Amino acid sequence: MSAQKDCEFLVKRARELVPDDPCAAKAWLITARTLYPADFNIQYEMYTIERNAERTASAGRLLYDMFINFPDQPIVWREISVITAALRSDSPDKHAQFLRGLFETLPGRVQCEMLLKATEQCFNTLEKAEMLLLLLKRFPESVVQHGVNLGETLLEAEVSENVETPVNCFRKLFVCDVLPLVINNMDMRLPASLMQKYMLKAAEFYIGYVTRGPSPDVQIQGSQEGGSLKSPSVSRGSQRYVIDGLSEKSSVVAEPWERLLDILAVVGARCEWQGDKGQRSYVDMLQRVKELCRYLPGLEGDTRSRCCSQVVICAALVLFRSAFLYVSAVQPALFQGVNALSSGPWILVEDLSSVYNDVEAERGSVKHAHKKRKLADGREKTMSSDDEEGLGKGRGRHIIVNKTEMPSWSETLESFRTARESWDLLHSHDSLETEFKKICASWKTDSWLWFRIFLSDMIIYQGQYRKALSSLHQMAAVQQPQPGQQSPSGQTSLEHHRALIQQASCHYALGEYRMACEKLLDVVSGLVPSNHESTKTPEDQGRVKTKTRKGNDLRLLPCTSKAVLPFCLQLMLACFKLRAFTDNRDDLSLGHVVVLLQYDWPQGEMLFLKAVDKICQQGSFQYENFFNYVTNIDMLEEFAYLRTPEGGRIQLELLPNQGMLIKHHTVTRGITKGVKEDFRLAMERQVSRCGENLLNVLHRFCINEKIIIIQSLP
Amino acid sequence: MGDIRQSLLPRDVLSAAKELLYHLDIYICNLVQSGRQPPQVDSKTLELVEEFILHSPKDRNTPARRMSALQELQLLEIMCSCFQEQSRDTVRQLMFSALFSLQGNQADESRMGLLGKLVSMAIAVGRVPILECAATWLQRTHRVYCIRLAQVLVDDYCSMVPGSVPTLQNIHSASPRFCCQFITAVTTLYDLTSEELTPPLELLQMIVSWIQDDPRLVLITFLNTPLSGSQPISSLDVTPLGGLVRWCVKAPLAYRRDKKQALTNGSTESELEVGPLFSTLHLSVLQVFMLLANILNEKGLFGRLALLQMDSLATLTSDLSRLLDQADKHTHTSSADTHAASQLALDRLAQALQVAMANGALLCSREDLRAICSRLPHNNLLQLVLSGPVMYYNNIHTPPLAFSPHAAHSPIASHPTHPTHPTHPTHPTHPTHPAHTPHTPLATHPSSHPQYPAQPFMTGIPFPFRPSH
Repeated sequence: MSAQKDCEFLVKRARELVPDDPCAAKAWLITARTLYPADFNIQYEMYTIERNAERTASAGRLLYDMFINFPDQPIVWREISVITAALRSDSPDKHAQFLRGLFETLPGRVQCEMLLKATEQCFNTLEKAEMLLLLLKRFPESVVQHGVNLGETLLEAEVSENVETPVNCFRKLFVCDVLPLVINNMDMRLPASLMQKYMLKAAEFYIGYVTRGPSPDVQIQGSQEGGSLKSPSVSRGSQRYVIDGLSEKSSVVAEPWERLLDILAVVGARCEWQGDKGQRSYVDMLQRVKELCRYLPGLEGDTRSRCCSQVVICAALVLFRSAFLYVSAVQPALFQGVNALSSGPWILVEDLSSVYNDVEAERGSVKHAHKKRKLADGREKTMSSDDEEGLGKGRGRHIIVNKTEMPSWSETLESFRTARESWDLLHSHDSLETEFKKICASWKTDSWLWFRIFLSDMIIYQGQYRKALSSLHQMAAVQQPQPGQQSPSGQTSLEHHRALIQQASCHYALGEYRMACEKLLDVVSGLVPSNHESTKTPEDQGRVKTKTRKGNDLRLLPCTSKAVLPFCLQLMLACFKLRAFTDNRDDLSLGHVVVLLQYDWPQGEMLFLKAVDKICQQGSFQYENFFNYVTNIDMLEEFAYLRTPEGGRIQLELLPNQGMLIKHHTVTRGITKGVKEDFRLAMERQVSRCGENLLNVLHRFCINEKIIIIQSLP
Repeated sequence: MGDIRQSLLPRDVLSAAKELLYHLDIYICNLVQSGRQPPQVDSKTLELVEEFILHSPKDRNTPARRMSALQELQLLEIMCSCFQEQSRDTVRQLMFSALFSLQGNQADESRMGLLGKLVSMAIAVGRVPILECAATWLQRTHRVYCIRLAQVLVDDYCSMVPGSVPTLQNIHSASPRFCCQFITAVTTLYDLTSEELTPPLELLQMIVSWIQDDPRLVLITFLNTPLSGSQPISSLDVTPLGGLVRWCVKAPLAYRRDKKQALTNGSTESELEVGPLFSTLHLSVLQVFMLLANILNEKGLFGRLALLQMDSLATLTSDLSRLLDQADKHTHTSSADTHAASQLALDRLAQALQVAMANGALLCSREDLRAICSRLPHNNLLQLVLSGPVMYYNNIHTPPLAFSPHAAHSPIASHPTHPTHPTHPTHPTHPTHPAHTPHTPLATHPSSHPQYPAQPFMTGIPFPFRPSH
C-alpha cells in the first residue's frame, strides 16, 4: 500500500460521486485533504468541482491554495494561462466572465505574482505585452519597474516584425495602453527627449488611424451589396476595421484626436512646456505657440530647443488635424469612417463666375494679377511685421462654396485656414522647419496622398501655380500604387480627373491656355452630360449677379458631372475670350466664344453683343461650325438680322465650305441667290433644333472639335 | 422587597403580577447600580416571583391563585414589553434569571410552562432581547430542561400550526445565539433512536439551510463564551457538532428503518427527501471542522478543548453497530440498498472522525479510535482513517494532521513551565483551572509548529486492515 494508491482511491471515489451527490464528493475530498495535505490531485479535484460549478469564491480560494502550495505544477500553470487569456480577451462569454471573476477573488499580491510568472512563460511578444499590461493596469506601482521596458519592447517588436504601418497591434498597445500608464505615473522621471519620442509615436499612430483608407476587402463586399437592393448607406455603415493581431473590438480607438490631445497635455506638463496646464483645444494650442514663437529668436540653449520642440510638435499636430478635417470634407472617400455619401469630392479651382464680365476689365485684372497680389502682400507686411517674404502670398483670397451643397462649408474653410496658418508657422524659422522636416521624414508624409491633396490646394491658394502643378504631378505618382481609390458612388473617372481639372485651372491661371484646354478636353471626353438641363439654385444666380470679384478668387467645385462640364465650358470661354477680342481678327476664337456663350444664357449676353459689335466692325465673319453648335434662338435671330440690310449686310460664312462656294459664285452672278437660299434653310433647320439639350451639343462640340480648339490656341 | 407582599395580596392576579414585575425591575436596577459583585437576587424576591407570577402556593394553607388564559396572555405581553423596554443587558439577564432560573422546587413546572410560552411568543413577535436571554438560559440550564423548551418550540412551530415554520426560520437573523443553542438542544433531543426522536422534515430543512448559509452559526456560542471552565455540568454541549455528526451518521440507517415501517403504505418519500439534506448537512459539518483549526489556534486552544467528546462518539459507534446489525437482520438477504446505506453511514463516520481529529475538534489517538470502532464492519475509508495516512509520502513538508495525546507524554510537554509558554499569551487562563476542563489534556505546540516531527501514529504503522482498493 502506498500513499499514492490511497490518494488515487480517494479522488476516484469523489469523482464517482460528483454527478449524483456533489456534497458527498466534496466531503470525501475534504477528508482526503486532511489525510494527504501534500497531494496535488486531491486539491485539483476540489478546484475542478468548484470551477465546473462556477462557484467563484470557493474556486478562487482553492486556486490560491494550489498556487501557494504547488507553484511548480504544470496543471496549475495551464489553469492560470486559461484565466489570464480570459482576462486579456474581451469576450462576453459566461465562462470567460467567471474566470475573470475568479481572478478578482485572489489577493492582489497573488494576482501580481501570477501575472508576472504567466508573462515569463509567454513567448509571443503581443501576448506577453498584453499580459504585462494587465499587471501594470492593476498594480500601478509595477509601472515604474516594467512600464518603459514594455514600451520599448513593443517599439522594438514593430521593427523586428517588419510591420508596414504605424497602425499596428504593437503600436496600438503602446500608444493606447502603455503610454498613458507611463506618462501619468508621477513616480517616474523620464527624460524630455524620451517623452517627445513617445509623443511623436502616439501622434503618428493616431494620425495614421484617423486617416486610414477603406480596407479593400470591405470595398468588394460593399460593391457586391451595392448590386443588391440594399441601401448603400447600410453597407457603408457596417464598415469594419481590424488591426492585424487584434480583435475587432480592441481595434476600435474612440476619439483619437481627443486622446492625442490628452497625451499632449500630460507630456507638455511633464516637459515643462510654456503655457497654461490642462486640456486645451487644438485651435487654442495654435494661438499659444504662435505667441511663443515671437520669443523664439531671443531664446538660447536648452530653453530655445525646448521651446522649439513645443512649437513644432503642437503646430504639426494642429496642421495634420486641420488638414485632415479639410481633406475629409473635400475628398471623403479617402478615409474609412468618414461618410462619403453626405458630400462628394470637391475641387479647389479658379473662380470663373466673372467670365461673363467685360473683357477690358477682365484683361486688366488678369494682366496685373501678379502685381496686384504683390501689392496686397505689401499691405499685409505693414500690418504684421513678423511675416517673412513669401508668406501670406495670396492671403485674403476668397473661396466660394455653394453653401447648400456643402453645409459644413464654414468649418471646412476654417480648417483649411488653420492648417495653412500652422504650415506657415512651421516655416517661419529655420530651426522650426528643420525639426518639422525631421518629423515628416520619419513619418514618410510624402507618401500620404491625403496630405498631398492638402498641400496642393494650399499651394494653389498661395498662387504658386507652377509649384502646384509639380505637386499635382507628384500626387498622380502617389495615387498610382493605389488603384483601389474609388468611391462606391461610381465616380471613379471623375475623381481620377480631379487632378486634371486642377492642373487645367493652374495652367489657366498661369496664362497657359493651350495646356489648360488640353487638360480640360481630356476631362470632358470622359464625361457623360446629364440629360437634365442644369438647374441653378437661386443662390447661384444671386451670387453671379451681386459679386463681381477681381478674378483671383477660388472656388470649391463639386466633383460631379453636373458641375464639372459647366466649369470646363467656362474655363474654355475664359481662355478664348481674350484672344477673340484682341485687335487682331481671330474669327475661329470668336466663333468658339459664341458657341460657349450659349451656356448659362443670358449671362453672357453682354459679351455676345460685344462679339456682334466686333463682327459688324469687321464687316464679315467666318465660322464654319456655326450651324453645328449654335442653337440659341436669340443668337440665331441676331445673326439672321446681321445679314439684312438693316443689320448692315454682314458677310457671314457660317456653312461648311461656304467660302469656296462664295468664291465660285462671285464668278457667275445670281448664284449668290442659291447661297442665300442655303443660309435661310440652315437657319430654319437650326431654329427647329432649339429644343435640343444644350449640354449635349456643347459636349459634342468639345469632343468633335478638340483638335481645332487646341490648335486655335498658341 | 419582601415588604410589598402585603400590598400585592389584595390585588387581582394580573395587576399583582404586573406590580411585582414593576418592582422587580426597580429592585434589580438598584442592585446593579450598587455595584455589589456578584449581583444576587435575594430569596425573598424569588419567593414573591413564585407566588405572584408563577402562582405556586406559598404554603399548604394558602390556596393557589390561578390566572385565566386571557390574563396569562396579558401577562406574557407585559413581560415581553418589559424586556423590550429595558435597555440594560445586565438588568435584563438578572430579571430573566430571577423569573426562570430553575430552583429545584415545585414552582419549576409552572416556571417551565411560562418560559415556553414566553419564548414561543418572543419568536412569533420577534422580541430579540428575550431570545438573547433565553440563549443564555439554554447555556446554563440542565440539558433535560433545555430539551423540554426545544420540544415546546418545535411543537408550536412545526407540529401545531402548519405553515408557521418561516416564523421560526427568522430566529437565525434575529438572534444567532439563540438559534445556535436551539440547534444544539434539538440535536440533543432528536437522537434518531425512534420515530418520535426523528426530527420533523420541516425542522431538518430549516436547520440544514441555516448551517449551509452560514456554517459559523454553529460556533456562535463557542465563539462568544469565555471558556472559563465554569460550564455547568450536564448543560448542553457548547456546539451542536456532536449532535449533528450523530444525525448525519445515523440518518442513512435510521430513515431506512422508518422506511421499512412506511413500506406498508408504499411510501419512500421521506428517504428521497432527507437523503440530499443530510448529505448537505454532513458537508457543512465538515466545513465547520475545517474552520475550527484556525479558530482554536487563534484562541490558543488547539489541542486543549475537545468539541467532540470521546464518550459520546463511543455511544454513537455502538448505536451504529446495533443499527447495522438490525439492518442485516431485517433484510435477511442483505440487499444492495442496505449495503449502500451502511457504507454511507460508515463513510460519514470515518470522514467526521478524520476531519474533526485533523482540525483539533477531537482529541484522541488513532489507537483510541480503533478501540471504539472495533465492532464496526469493514469500510475502506474508515480503515484508512483508523490506520492513518502512509507517511513515506514524497513530500516531507506534510504538516501535522491532528493533535496527538502522545505528545503530552513527551518530556517537553510534561515540563512544569509549560503553562506560561511565552508564545501563547492566552494560555494562563486555562491551565490555571485544569480541574474544570477534564477534556482538554495539555499539549505542546499545536499545529502552529509545522516542522514538528512526524507523530507516532502517523508513521505508517503496519495496520492489518488497510483499505483493499
